[in-house]
Amino acid sequence: MKTLFTRFAGLWLGLMMAAAWTNSAGAAPADDLIAGAKKEGVIDFYGPSTLGPEGAQAIVAAFNKKHGLNIKVNFTPSGNMTRDTAKIVGLSASGQPPEWDIMVVTDAHHGSLWLRKLHKPFDYASLGVAKERVEYDNGTVSVANQFALPAYNTKLLPAKDVPKKWEDLLDPKFKGKIGVINSTHHWGRLAAGAWGDEKTLDFIKKLSAQKPLLTRAGEMAQRLILGEVLVSATLQDSQLHETKESGAPLAFAEEVSPVISPEYHVGVLKNAAHPNVGHLFVTFMASADVQPVWQKYTGHTSAFVPGTNAYKFAQGKKVLYMKQDQAEKVDKIARQIGKILGFD
Amino acid sequence: MKVETRTEVSPSAWEGLSRFLPQGVTLFASGLSGFLLILIGLPVAMVILMSLRTGFPGEQVPFTLENFATVYLAPRTYEILINTVFFAISSVSITLLIAVPLVWILMRTDIPFKKTIYVLLTIGILIPVFLRTIAWILLLSPRIGLINKWLQQAFGLVDPPFNLYSLTGMAFVQGVSFVPGAFFMLAAAYRSMDPSLEEAAYTSGVGKLKTFLKINIPITWPAIAAVMVYLIMTAVAVFEVPAIIGLPARIHVLSSLIFTSTTPSTGLPNYGMAGAYGAIMLVLGLTLAFLYVRLVKQGKKYTVITGRGYRPREIALGRWKWAALGFVLFYLSIEVFVPFSVLLWASLLPYLQLPSAEALSSLTLKHYIELPTHVGPRPFINTLILMFTVPTLTMFLSVLVSWIVIRTRVSFRGFLDTLVFIPHAVPGILMAVGLAYLGLAYRDYFPLYGTVSIIVLAHTINWIAYGTRTTNSVMIQVHRELEEAGRVSGASAPRVLGKIILPLIAAGVLNSWIWIGMLSYREVTMSLTLLTRSNVVISTVVWQFWGSGWVPQVSALGVILILFATIVVGTVRFALSRIGEIGAAS
Repeated sequence: MKTLFTRFAGLWLGLMMAAAWTNSAGAAPADDLIAGAKKEGVIDFYGPSTLGPEGAQAIVAAFNKKHGLNIKVNFTPSGNMTRDTAKIVGLSASGQPPEWDIMVVTDAHHGSLWLRKLHKPFDYASLGVAKERVEYDNGTVSVANQFALPAYNTKLLPAKDVPKKWEDLLDPKFKGKIGVINSTHHWGRLAAGAWGDEKTLDFIKKLSAQKPLLTRAGEMAQRLILGEVLVSATLQDSQLHETKESGAPLAFAEEVSPVISPEYHVGVLKNAAHPNVGHLFVTFMASADVQPVWQKYTGHTSAFVPGTNAYKFAQGKKVLYMKQDQAEKVDKIARQIGKILGFD
Repeated sequence: MKVETRTEVSPSAWEGLSRFLPQGVTLFASGLSGFLLILIGLPVAMVILMSLRTGFPGEQVPFTLENFATVYLAPRTYEILINTVFFAISSVSITLLIAVPLVWILMRTDIPFKKTIYVLLTIGILIPVFLRTIAWILLLSPRIGLINKWLQQAFGLVDPPFNLYSLTGMAFVQGVSFVPGAFFMLAAAYRSMDPSLEEAAYTSGVGKLKTFLKINIPITWPAIAAVMVYLIMTAVAVFEVPAIIGLPARIHVLSSLIFTSTTPSTGLPNYGMAGAYGAIMLVLGLTLAFLYVRLVKQGKKYTVITGRGYRPREIALGRWKWAALGFVLFYLSIEVFVPFSVLLWASLLPYLQLPSAEALSSLTLKHYIELPTHVGPRPFINTLILMFTVPTLTMFLSVLVSWIVIRTRVSFRGFLDTLVFIPHAVPGILMAVGLAYLGLAYRDYFPLYGTVSIIVLAHTINWIAYGTRTTNSVMIQVHRELEEAGRVSGASAPRVLGKIILPLIAAGVLNSWIWIGMLSYREVTMSLTLLTRSNVVISTVVWQFWGSGWVPQVSALGVILILFATIVVGTVRFALSRIGEIGAAS
C-alpha cells in the first residue's frame, strides 16, 4: 500500500513538475512580450468599422487587465479594407513603416499581404493558440467568422420564393430583381473549394444574365430594405446584424448550402512600430475572452470557439473556409468574376 | 498727399517707370510660373510615371507601355469613352439649361425673395452629392421610385416612365448638382454686365426673352464658355453619381473605371491602369485647355465693364414675375427641398424606409443622440481648416494668375493659363495619388503625408483651375481704360491691381472663395485617397458611413452639417458683404 502510495505520489510529483516545466517554457516568450509591451505602451489597431473605438477600447481594457498592462490604443476603423491593404503595400514598397501595428481584415486581404511577405510572423502556437486558427505561415490568427448567404426582405419576398439552393438565384422570377455585392471573392471561394472553376464560372455567367443590381455590401442592405431588389445573391452577416438591430426586415436564406465563411484575421505587420504589444495582442485576440466583445460590437464570433453564435450556426452546416494555399487562386478568379458581372 | 504725389509724376518719369514695369511684371510672372510649375507639375509627373509602371507607388519597377496597351487595345475602352462624352455633354447641357436663366433671373431682374433664394442655393451646395443621389433613387428608381409609382397609378402605365439607372438619369442628377457651381461662376459676370445694350433692346421694343437670347447670352458668352469647358472636364472626372447610379446598372464611364482600378472589388489596386485611363482625361483636358486659351485671347471682344459710369439696373419682370418665381422654385425643389427632406426623413428613421404610416410611427432622434459616439471633434476641426485655408490660397493664386493672363502682355501668359488649367484635366484621384506617392517616397523632402496640409495642397491645386476660370471671366470684363487711367495717374502695377481691379472683381472673388470653401468641405475622393487617422475630415467620415450602409446615421450627420455650414456661410457672407457690395456696385 505504502509502495503504491509512494508510486502514486511520485507520479503526481512528476506530472506536476512536467506541467510546471511546460508552463515555464510557454511563459518565457510571453514574459518577454509583456516586458517589451510595457516599454512600447501603445498599439495602433486597424479593424472593422463595426467594432468601432468603443469595441476596440473594450478589448484593450480586457487585454490590459489580463496582462497587468496599461497599453493605449489608437484605433482606425476600416473605411475600405482593399484600399488600406494597398496602402500597406505601398508604404512597404517605398520603405516606410506601416501606419498600424496590427490589422484585422478578412483572410483575403491578409492573403494579399502574405503574398508580399508583409506580416511579422510569430509562433502563436507556442503561446497556446490552437493551430487550426493560425494561418499564413504564422502571420495571422483567425478571430471571427463572417457568413455569406443569399439575403432577402422578409416583408417583400414570400416564404415559398425564398431560395433553398444557390441555383435558385437563377430562377427567371428574380431577373432584374436580384442584387450582387462587390465581394466577388465569395464566388472565388466556391471556385477554390466546393464547386471548382467550371461550375462557378458557368453559374456566374447565368447570374450575370439575371441583370443584377451591383453595389457594395452596405449599400445592398439598404436597397434590399427599400425593395429595389428582392434578394441579394450574397450578403454578409455583419450587414444583416446591423440592419436587424434597427428592426429592418432582412434575413438569410439559411437552407442554401454550402455557407461561405470569410474570416477576420488579425496579424502584426512587418516593421510595425510596436511588435511586442502586437504579438501579445494577437494572442489575446485568439482567446475566448474576446468573443463576447466581438459579438457585442460586430455581431461576429469565431466558428472555432465552442459556445459562440458562429460555432452554433456552423453546426450541421457545410461551411466553406479558405486556407492559405487557396488565397492566390481566390484572388485571381474573383477578378475574373468581377469582370463577368460587370464590376470592373 | 498721395494724390498730389501722383499728379506730380512727369511724363518722362512715367515713361521711365513704364519701361521698368514690364520687366518687373515679367520677373514676377516668371517666379509665379516657376512656383506653379513645381506645385502642379510634380504630382502630374507622378501620375504620368504611374501610368508607365506596373506595381505600387514606391516600388522600383522598369518602365513599360503595358498599361497603355491593355487600355487602348480593348474595344470596351472606346465604348466607355462614348458613354463618358455623352454623360459629360448631357450633364452640362442640363446644367446650363437651368443655370443660365437662373442667374439672369436672380442677377438682372426684380424677382422677389432674392436673398432667401441665394441662401437656399448655398444650402444646395452643402448637400453631399451622393445623399442627393439617394434621394433621386427614392423618387425615380424604376422599382421603388415614388414619382414613377404615382405616374403609373395616375395614368395606368404598365412600365415606369423614368429609369434613373441610365446615362440620361445619371446626367440629370449630375447636371442638377452642377447648377449651384455654374450659378456662382456666372453670377459675377451677369451682375456686372453693362445694361446699355439690354436697355437699347427694350427701347426698340424687343421682348425680354428675345433680349435674353440675343443680348445677354452673346455678351456673357466668354463666361458661359468658360463654365461649359470647366463643367465638361468636371463631368468627365466625377465619380459619385457614376458610382451610385451607373455601377449598379453596369454603366461605366472613365471616372468609374479609374475608381474601380484604384478601389477594386477584390485584390489590390491597379494604379498603372488608372494612370492609363487618366491619360485619356489628360488629353481631353489639354485639348479643352487649348480651346479655352484661344477663347480668352478673344476676350477683348466681350468687354462689358467699361470706365463709363453705370450701375446695372434690375429689369422689371412685371407679369412674368410669377413664372420666373415658379421656375426658381421648381429648381430649388429638385436641388434643395426634395434632397433635404429625404435627408431629414432618413435621419429620423431607425432604418431607411419609404414614407408610410408604419415608418411615421417609428420616427426617432437616436441617430442624432448617438452621433458624438461615432464622430469626435477632429473631423470638424480639420474640415474647418480646409474650408478657410483652401479657398484663401486658391483665390490668392488665382487673382495673381488672372492678372498676368488677362491684364498684362507677358509673352508666356498663355502658358501660365494652360498650366493652371492642367489640374482640371487630371482627375482628382490621380492628383491625390501623385501627392501621396510624393509623400511616401520622398518623406524627408516632402513631410506632409498624413497631415491636413497635404489635403489642403491637393484641393488648392485641384481648384486653382476653377479659381482662375472665375477670376479670368470677371477680369475680361474690366476694360483696360480703367487700368490705364490708374497708370497714367502714376500708380504702380500692384497698386492698380489692389486699388482698381480687385474692388471691381471682389464680388466674383468672394463668390468663388465661398464656393471653393464649399467644394473643399464636401470633396471626398482626394481626401479619401490621402486619408490617415490624423487627417480625417467630415466628407471621409460621411463616405465611410455610407460605405457601411449607415444611411440614417449619415443623414443625421448631413442635416447637422448643412445647418452648421449654413451658419458659417451666412456669417462669412454677412461679414464680407461690404466687399460684395463694392464689387456689385462698380
